[in-house]
Amino acid sequence: MKKTWPNRPEAMEYFDEISNFFGQREKEIREQKEAGKKLIGYTCMFAPIEFILAAGAIPVRVGSGWYDAAKLGDRIMPVEVCPVIRSTVGAKMVNLSPYLELSDAIITPLTCDGRTKLSEILSDFKPVWCMTPPRVKDDPQSLSLWKEEMQVIRGKIEELTGTKITKSNLRSAIEKMQKATKAFRRLQDLRKGPPVITGRDAMLVSQTSLWDDIERWTQKTNELCDELEKRVEQKMWAFPPDTSRVMITGTPMLWPDSWKVPNLIEESNPAGVLVVDEQCSGDRILYDPVGVDEWTMSDMFDAVSERYLMASTCPCFTSEHGNEDRVNWIMDRIKEYKVDGVIYYVVRGCILYAMEYARIKRILDRMGLPVYYLDTEYTREDVGQMKTRVEAFLEMLEARIDI
Amino acid sequence: MLSWDLASQSTLYRSSLNGEKRMLETIAEILRAIIAVGLVTAGVLAILVWVRNLTRKLSILRLFIQIIASIAIFVILLFWPLPWNPILSGLVFSIALRLTLVFALIVVSTLVLGRFFCGWLCPYVLYMDLLTRLRKALRIPHWNLPEKLNNGLDVLRYVMLASFLAVALIFGVLNADVWRYVIMFMGPFKSLIIVFLSPIEPLIEQTGTALGFEVWGASFHDLRGTINYFNGPDLILITWLVFFAFTAGSFMVRLLWCRFCPVGATLSILNKFSALKWAPILHIDKIEEKCTKCGICKRVCPLQVTEVYEEKGGNVTAPKCIHCFRCLEMCPYEGCLNIKMAGKTIYKSKNWLKEEEE
Repeated sequence: MKKTWPNRPEAMEYFDEISNFFGQREKEIREQKEAGKKLIGYTCMFAPIEFILAAGAIPVRVGSGWYDAAKLGDRIMPVEVCPVIRSTVGAKMVNLSPYLELSDAIITPLTCDGRTKLSEILSDFKPVWCMTPPRVKDDPQSLSLWKEEMQVIRGKIEELTGTKITKSNLRSAIEKMQKATKAFRRLQDLRKGPPVITGRDAMLVSQTSLWDDIERWTQKTNELCDELEKRVEQKMWAFPPDTSRVMITGTPMLWPDSWKVPNLIEESNPAGVLVVDEQCSGDRILYDPVGVDEWTMSDMFDAVSERYLMASTCPCFTSEHGNEDRVNWIMDRIKEYKVDGVIYYVVRGCILYAMEYARIKRILDRMGLPVYYLDTEYTREDVGQMKTRVEAFLEMLEARIDI
Repeated sequence: MLSWDLASQSTLYRSSLNGEKRMLETIAEILRAIIAVGLVTAGVLAILVWVRNLTRKLSILRLFIQIIASIAIFVILLFWPLPWNPILSGLVFSIALRLTLVFALIVVSTLVLGRFFCGWLCPYVLYMDLLTRLRKALRIPHWNLPEKLNNGLDVLRYVMLASFLAVALIFGVLNADVWRYVIMFMGPFKSLIIVFLSPIEPLIEQTGTALGFEVWGASFHDLRGTINYFNGPDLILITWLVFFAFTAGSFMVRLLWCRFCPVGATLSILNKFSALKWAPILHIDKIEEKCTKCGICKRVCPLQVTEVYEEKGGNVTAPKCIHCFRCLEMCPYEGCLNIKMAGKTIYKSKNWLKEEEE
């Protein structure tokens, strides 16, 4: 599938290699584990990656994107539950995911109901560290609760790895992640112009950061950006510059299988190009940096805690004004990336995203921007039907552009 | 008590100046001013060009301007010869007049620029900033005041201002001496200018004479005489105690004095009435959509201002804000916070992860 796209940047080869769950990266992790390093998995982007890095462990996200594993998960989880959860359970049942199998402990932030019970199921096999993010993030009491949670997690990470998180190793971890954010933002800035990279490639790049060695990933992403900058000068576009620009928001799309919708969007006729997304499997992974004012332990700790709670636009949050941060994020991206239409992607059972649709739609309607609610499942059976729906939406977008 | 003899010396010196010499002096003054302005401009440009780290650029620029401003203020206070005018009730009046002028300048500039004076020119802020920098270098974590206390201190500044003005009005009926007294109390530091410099008093005089400027140092005597005349030994002791208390306090709590400094009350008063909110043409503007409420602005603010974080958008300048622009410098979202002057954006928050491009 990957090889069929014409004119792919050469630097993408590295990301193809690293996206293989059973290849180079798995071997590396096995070697590092034998050398005494610990692997700490996490199910959700609330886990403090800086702390894991500072303690010398390897962070890796263990949520599963395998369609077939979701079928297996049905035996334990009711079918009404989000397939991301069912698939992760299924992957555990057949020991499919090497990262999940190799991890020494799993951090499970209890954001939605699915993840809460997923944590219970995983606790039968692995040490599981729960984190409770508050549902209202603006209140001072929420922040103090969250900081206490972070303090506990920090203690657990230190206990597992036997390494104390000190000022110097936390600082170098923060700086590593800042460099990764810098590289990621560089890639994002390139996507603001005419489509020089396909949305799927960009998604692959940001998703590999979830399990790759972050320093090497940063270097390779910068190499990719160098190549793309050359392509911009040569006006070598991945799609014709007048292709409809689509934003995708909603449920995370996890590698490897759950890329049905991006494939449909970019391979349909007329094609659309994914320029930006609002997903915790995409742009939200690395977009927000940790901003440290003073390099003291307390300030670094606060900075890391705040970055994971406050900057997040997860739909598990609410406030008296609704989840306005998410609305703002979407509105800003629409303007910055000159988005023509939004696809609101929801898998069946992902009720938090599904319930927020009405509010988001109301605001996008006010902006005069078409939004399409695309609900699907972890299955290949509905591809034909989905294709029709996506094509109808893209045709409508194209007609709008022509006008 | 006053050093009359020196004052009269100064008068004699002045009267002995003939027209030609005075003109040369004036030209020299102008040349010196041009050189000074040139050096400052060169420094500002050098910082703008050479400082690549965007999380420090504004801070370093601010530090540079603070140092220049503090030097200028001290030079003006100490070396600017005081005119001796017997008609206008003498020396005391002229000091009071000068300080009143400074105060008037602060008020007017506040009307136009907001509390720009506080953040960029005030020598006491520089002193507290240097303490903060020392603390940062020693890697000692700072203390945050509880939000309620911080807001309470913001009210205290009006109480202080009101009581000073009341004292002045009741006892002084706009007497110049009392006004001077009022202004002197505006900062614990200001009346200490003289106490600080007393040990080098001979040096000031001798250097001035050696360089051929006999007037240098004359002002110092006048100023010290005046202040000592009004500040009895008890008062000086109290000032010292206050000064040490605040030095220790501002070492641990960032910009402690600014949280209730009465000088800063002017903009605060303006900002209290929403009808007057447009008045200061310099303000921080926030674009709501770009904000993810990551909370960095709230955490890095040395005065623990919460408005920038809490308010939805538009003009987010708080009465407490001293325009240090630290929030803007640390905001990682491009164009989310903007410095606006008379409706025009003059600086905006940048993606500080990338070093500034050529």
